[in-house]
Amino acid sequence: MSQEICIRTENLNLFYGAFQALKNINMDICGREITAFIGPSGCGKTTLLRCFNRMNDLVEGCRSDGKIYIKGRDIGADTDVNALRREVGMVFQKSNVFPMSVYDNVAYGPRTHGTKKGRLLDGIVLESLKKAGLWDEVKDRLNKSALGLSGGQQQRLCIARALAVEPEILLMDEPTSVLDPISTGKIEELCGELKKRYTIVIVTHNMQQAARISDKTAFFLLGEMLEYGATKDVFSDPKNEKCERYITGRFG
Amino acid sequence: MSKRPWKNVIKEGFFKAVFGTAAVFSILAVVLIIVFLIYRGSPALQKIGFFDFVFNAEWMSDSRDTYASEVSGSYGILTMIAGSLYAAAGTVTVGGTLGFFTAVFLAKFCPKRIKKPLNQIINLLAGIPSVIYGFFGMRVVVPLLGVFSANGDGSGILAVGIVLGIMITPTVAALSGASIEAVDASYYEGAAALGASREQAVFKTVVPAAKSGIFASVVLGVGRAIGETMAVVMLAGNNAVFPSGLFSSFRTMTANIVLEMSYAGELQAGALAATGLVLTFFILVINLCFNALKGGKMAKKRTAAGRKANPFGRYFNRACQKTRFSASPLYGQNPPKEENYVNNKPAKHSNAAAIAAVGKYVSYAAAAAAVFALLAVVLFVLINGLPHVTGELLFGAFNYGGAPSIAASLLATAMLIFLTSLIAFPIGVFTAIFLAEYTVKGGKFVRLIRLTVETLGGIPSIVYGLFGMIFFCGILNMGTSIIAGCLTVSLMIIPTTVRGTEEALLAVPDSLREGSYALGGGRLTTVRRVVLPPALPGILAAVILGIGRMAAESAPVLFTMGASLKPTPTGYRSSGTTLAVALYALAREGAYVDEAYATACVLVVGVLTLNIISAALGARLQKKLSGGGGIKAQSK
Ligand SMILES: Nc1ncnc2c1ncn2[C@@H]1O[C@H](COP(=O)(O)OP(=O)(O)O)[C@@H](O)[C@H]1O
Ligand SMILES: [Mg+2]
Repeated sequence: MSQEICIRTENLNLFYGAFQALKNINMDICGREITAFIGPSGCGKTTLLRCFNRMNDLVEGCRSDGKIYIKGRDIGADTDVNALRREVGMVFQKSNVFPMSVYDNVAYGPRTHGTKKGRLLDGIVLESLKKAGLWDEVKDRLNKSALGLSGGQQQRLCIARALAVEPEILLMDEPTSVLDPISTGKIEELCGELKKRYTIVIVTHNMQQAARISDKTAFFLLGEMLEYGATKDVFSDPKNEKCERYITGRFG
Repeated sequence: MSKRPWKNVIKEGFFKAVFGTAAVFSILAVVLIIVFLIYRGSPALQKIGFFDFVFNAEWMSDSRDTYASEVSGSYGILTMIAGSLYAAAGTVTVGGTLGFFTAVFLAKFCPKRIKKPLNQIINLLAGIPSVIYGFFGMRVVVPLLGVFSANGDGSGILAVGIVLGIMITPTVAALSGASIEAVDASYYEGAAALGASREQAVFKTVVPAAKSGIFASVVLGVGRAIGETMAVVMLAGNNAVFPSGLFSSFRTMTANIVLEMSYAGELQAGALAATGLVLTFFILVINLCFNALKGGKMAKKRTAAGRKANPFGRYFNRACQKTRFSASPLYGQNPPKEENYVNNKPAKHSNAAAIAAVGKYVSYAAAAAAVFALLAVVLFVLINGLPHVTGELLFGAFNYGGAPSIAASLLATAMLIFLTSLIAFPIGVFTAIFLAEYTVKGGKFVRLIRLTVETLGGIPSIVYGLFGMIFFCGILNMGTSIIAGCLTVSLMIIPTTVRGTEEALLAVPDSLREGSYALGGGRLTTVRRVVLPPALPGILAAVILGIGRMAAESAPVLFTMGASLKPTPTGYRSSGTTLAVALYALAREGAYVDEAYATACVLVVGVLTLNIISAALGARLQKKLSGGGGIKAQSK
């Protein structure tokens, strides 16, 4: 099972001021798979995820060392972050649809990157909404404010919005933690669908979810990656004792 | 993932530079104002002696005095420092009490149905120009008080206190109300669960928890009273003596500047500039107190969720949030007051409950009095003025001596608003964009800009007038002209524009910015396409409020644009009288009372209309961000 490595970190350390949030992370994430990050709150999952599209640049007092390669290319200081973020899409824990129409939300990314033509945009919007499994639900209200959608729909709209810039990697930070079970089911299904074309990294608090949908699982604790491997191995036979205790629900 | 494209880097850099330049301008303005006041004031202070100037109680200015000649007059402002403090004390006694109890009523006892309209009315009335209050005071309050005065003259501290008190009531009520509303509901519930009556819970638990916010609002009222000029000049009597009773005539520092500036000689003008310096010093100290009370500097770190667009601003929200976490009688380390509740006697029968119940009725009465007084001011002007708003008054030709027409003033006001808007709003909005969107790192430079903007916002309007007269009219040789007025008023409008715009921008949740960045939108794209559209109604509201202030303020244009009724301006180099100044001139002359009423009427209607539009736009911002309004797609 030799697969292309899509994201690689080398000796990655990250600090918020004096606090070290990530400790020497070395990991390879494979393409066209779902990789799940699990671990108790505050262990650094979100932080690591945000390294992959350099969103931590926006955080005051945050600095890191070590290297991150996306598809073999170093994303250090002189990368064009906007181009990087176009390639590495992100879906946030709390859906953050813009206060615009459904259409404009999805078209935001392509427009930002220079797609002006109406016909072309229409096609992209349609495609993205379909991929996100939202088309049927919103096709009659494309020009209505996106804020009127339900929570689950808003989250899927965020996914559609991310897909519209044609990324290769999709980062998802607890995308279902504030959703009801039905919406959660839909998004999990969607992930299974999307992994045929995209590399997905998903942070989740929900062990069942990680076990259900992911191919690889990484367990973090206090900024360290203690376990990383095929999901079925991690869940059936964890090597790390703390990971085992976490998975069996004895802490965290 | 290529290297950064240079075109984008340059574009981003260019706009950042534009926004940054605007911000630097604000610093320059403050520095200029302080420097030129010192430049004008210090020779006079040297000649008079600083100690003598501040601690001598005799003011007998002589316009023939120069820096070279022997001093024949005497220049001590102690009586005026005292006068300003007396005015503040009177104002706060009336306005603080009315405002506080009105706030308690609105927040805790007011029936839901009338709460919102009542709040709106009170906020609206906060925008009435101070000349209108002065005019109302002259025509109504002073004659009424004259009945009780020994010499039959009702002007003096009492009149000033009452009128300025009414004037600051909306501000105090709004700010106190915001901090009372921000007290966590659990406080009230905790007290109620211990058997406290509603009144007790409100006055013993909720109000103490909000006290720093309430004090802050009163301190703000003190600042407004000390900085107020026009209404005071119209009501104080203006003799430079220590006030000896409620009806005794007195003079404030602000009044001193207004009264003598227009004919001041060399040394005298210097002494007036020095008065402005002392006045500014007082205001800055008061602002420091206010800032300390409301919880210090604006926090640098933003919280992504839940920042509501509050009309009184995030500056104040911070204070309210802070009180919520500070020690309280119920949750804090100091629980002495609990005893009242814990004893098993039914609380209703205790003395404390009776006192608290009185507090409730006082709140009812205060709210009624406040609304009555504020409406009285407006209705008085409208009823007396409307019948005299004639075509002749509005559009008649200007003639010296004959019946006055305000056509020239309308034109001058419009010219002032036009040019000032062109200068002040871009600078103000850009500064705010720089502060809100380009300063994640929160460095020294940013804090400096923020501090200067707040300082600029605290300087009383008469000091702007003084500065404008020295700098624009004098040093830049513009003379008394509309352009000088525009530049002066611009300086005054910039800080409020910055503040209003920044609040609108910060009301846009950070999660939206992150969403845009994550899609590869750069900073400029994010600001333009994600932040500005929802913030636009809020920014417009700030702009329209600014226009209202341009029309309302008279102190800054009195000496820079023209103090008496002038013929129709022919351009920006000619002098002109704004509506507010025209009202001041007509009211003080006393010859054309009907015309004065009509002018006041036009002014009030204009300013209130602008304030209504501004409030409506502010409400739209809130709705837009909370998902109420459907926004049309631009394409498809
Ligand atoms: N902006 C920030 N500033 C300072 N510390 C932060 C910041 N964001 C996260 N942290 C800290 O870094 C640690 C890891 O946070 P995070 O990555 O959000 O954890 P997780 O997503 O696993 O719950 C936590 O201890 C958190 O308090
Ligand atoms: Mg997290």
